[in-house]
Amino acid sequence: MATNTDRESELDRFLLKQRVERFLYEEAALLDRREQTEWLALLDEDVEYKAPLRITREHVNDNFSRSAYYFDEDYGSLEARVQRFESEYAWSERPPSRTRRFVTNVRATERDDGTVDARSYLLLYYGQGDSSSYTFLAGRREDVLRPNGETFTIAKRHVYLDHAVPKIDKISVFL
Amino acid sequence: MPPTESKATAQQPDDHADLLAEIEASLGEGKLPLQTFNSEAVHQLELDRLFGREWIFVGHESEIPEEGDYARRYIAGDPFIFVRDMNGDVQVLFDSCRHRGAKLCRAEQGNTSHFRCPYHGWTYKNTGDLVGVPQKEVAFKNLDQSEHGLHSAPRVDSYAGLVFASLGDSGESLEEHLGEFTWYLDIQFKLPDGGMEVIGEPHRWVVETNWKTGADNFAGDSYHTGFAHHSIKQLGLGGDDTVGIAGAGETKDRHVHCDGHTTSTRMVEGEEVFMTYPDEIVDLFNPDNVTADQYRAAKEALSFTGSVFPNLAFLNFGDITDDPNKDVTGFLGLRKWRPLGPNKTEIWSWAFAPKRASEATKKRIYKVYMSNFGPSGNFEQDDVSIWNGITDVADSTFARHHDVELNYQMGTEEMSEVAYDEEWPGPGTVYAINLEEVGMQKFHDQWFEHLSTPRDGTAMSRECGGGCGSAKTDGCGSAKTDGCGSVKTGGYGSTKTDDGESPSERGRPEDGE
Repeated sequence: MATNTDRESELDRFLLKQRVERFLYEEAALLDRREQTEWLALLDEDVEYKAPLRITREHVNDNFSRSAYYFDEDYGSLEARVQRFESEYAWSERPPSRTRRFVTNVRATERDDGTVDARSYLLLYYGQGDSSSYTFLAGRREDVLRPNGETFTIAKRHVYLDHAVPKIDKISVFL
Repeated sequence: MPPTESKATAQQPDDHADLLAEIEASLGEGKLPLQTFNSEAVHQLELDRLFGREWIFVGHESEIPEEGDYARRYIAGDPFIFVRDMNGDVQVLFDSCRHRGAKLCRAEQGNTSHFRCPYHGWTYKNTGDLVGVPQKEVAFKNLDQSEHGLHSAPRVDSYAGLVFASLGDSGESLEEHLGEFTWYLDIQFKLPDGGMEVIGEPHRWVVETNWKTGADNFAGDSYHTGFAHHSIKQLGLGGDDTVGIAGAGETKDRHVHCDGHTTSTRMVEGEEVFMTYPDEIVDLFNPDNVTADQYRAAKEALSFTGSVFPNLAFLNFGDITDDPNKDVTGFLGLRKWRPLGPNKTEIWSWAFAPKRASEATKKRIYKVYMSNFGPSGNFEQDDVSIWNGITDVADSTFARHHDVELNYQMGTEEMSEVAYDEEWPGPGTVYAINLEEVGMQKFHDQWFEHLSTPRDGTAMSRECGGGCGSAKTDGCGSAKTDGCGSVKTGGYGSTKTDDGESPSERGRPEDGE
């Protein structure tokens, strides 16, 4: 039989998940609208943003490199990438791509230090130019979020793409 | 762009003659038909006549340091297992069971003493020797296992840890293929005490670009840097001398053509630059590892970019960073253009650092490499976006019907100001300016020679040193003596094995360099 304490903690978990989802959805919307400078403001100055290479091993289904990355970023290098995308000569995003980030399967757990473990799946549609072609990137994300009033900042994001060999000309979007 | 449907059925072998004649006429004027960059007929010829016999990069020895370490590698479409066997020797084994042909290697990499076929269980040592045949006494009583080891690439050899394989039974040795260009490879790979090693695993990704566009770019396209990569300079991610407009800077810029390969360098004369590597790395650079001239070239160099025919390229880039507020460094990247079709290439990209560098420095070098090259690289993103457009239009009806040609005439006497550096201490033809495309022309000339020489060698090819004609009968014509054994026993498609020679002897890279 559920006690009041159980109900309260269940409610806490539910509300946490709600807040985390709202944050991740808003973040995705910012990126899809290409408001990348605004997106940067969601990142902590000490942010760790990594997307390691997936390495296919015979007996392991979810194996990632410990030294090779698509992204291994800090705030400064992310800021440089954003500034580049907004500059005149970043040909990879001329014309700007059309993206749609579907963020699902969100799970959130509060950690002892008050930060939040937020796990989510990401499906990213990527299209560009006057072409009917498009591609998808899929993966899961493990974030550490820092509470900031009713919302959060991103302290850490690890992206684990599902692709062994990405079939995409370039990874010129944030995941 | 979506991949174009194959036109293989439309292009019969007879079409080759017309197409080749058109290419030849075009080459004579320092041009190339646009359709060359997206043609199924050309692609098929390349698979057969270029990738089917030329020396192709497989991997670096540091990627498989321990006995049993292996990685799946490809020569164009063909899968090979790049493995350090139980004897410590590097092998390049054809990834196909000798019984029914199934692939043995199920992972991208790993460590194993044996490869076992998942189909019927035939089992091979990591030397390639067949050691297990289920129910042999009943089912394959008279099978001579010694004749059924895994096929090796017909020829395997290495230089400075770079392992190459050739699907050709004969022809130039790797040493002959690289020729005097090793003078430039030494600067990239031999300078530090302890040698160079690959950091992590290579980037691989599939782009809708013809592989030759990448090869062109690294065969001396200094002209594109200041424009295509202008954002790098604008954002302060790369110095003016590294990414500025070619021919406009203060640097001593050189383009070198050497024995079929090319390199470009930007240098600061009299200065100690060493690609702006941190002191920790420069301290590892030992003058005793190279000649005095090579050491001086490295010392003054801000960058080297180069291309090893046909589909390997390198860049040792300095004055570059991931963040304008952080220190610059140098990094060495190696890249391979693996053709998957006329309009599809899998790019492989490796990052290198001196083996004896600290972990922190290796990490920093990798980060700067990754920020600029690889699929997310600030440089690389922009190149591929542009290259795809070339591949796309190369498939156009207009290009085919109206003989649209690309211009590679920069650096010819008729077209531009040309100056040579007669004082240059290294081998090759050396342009005292980095505005020339003759290096690309030379690439195309070699490429064309391969394409116009049938694999049975009825025409003479410069690359084959005259040996192609006798490939099948006495394959050792121009191969070095050590290579003969592996040519005969490991012959690709050959069914004979010399008595008494184990498959582990096949195609073993020569010791040392």
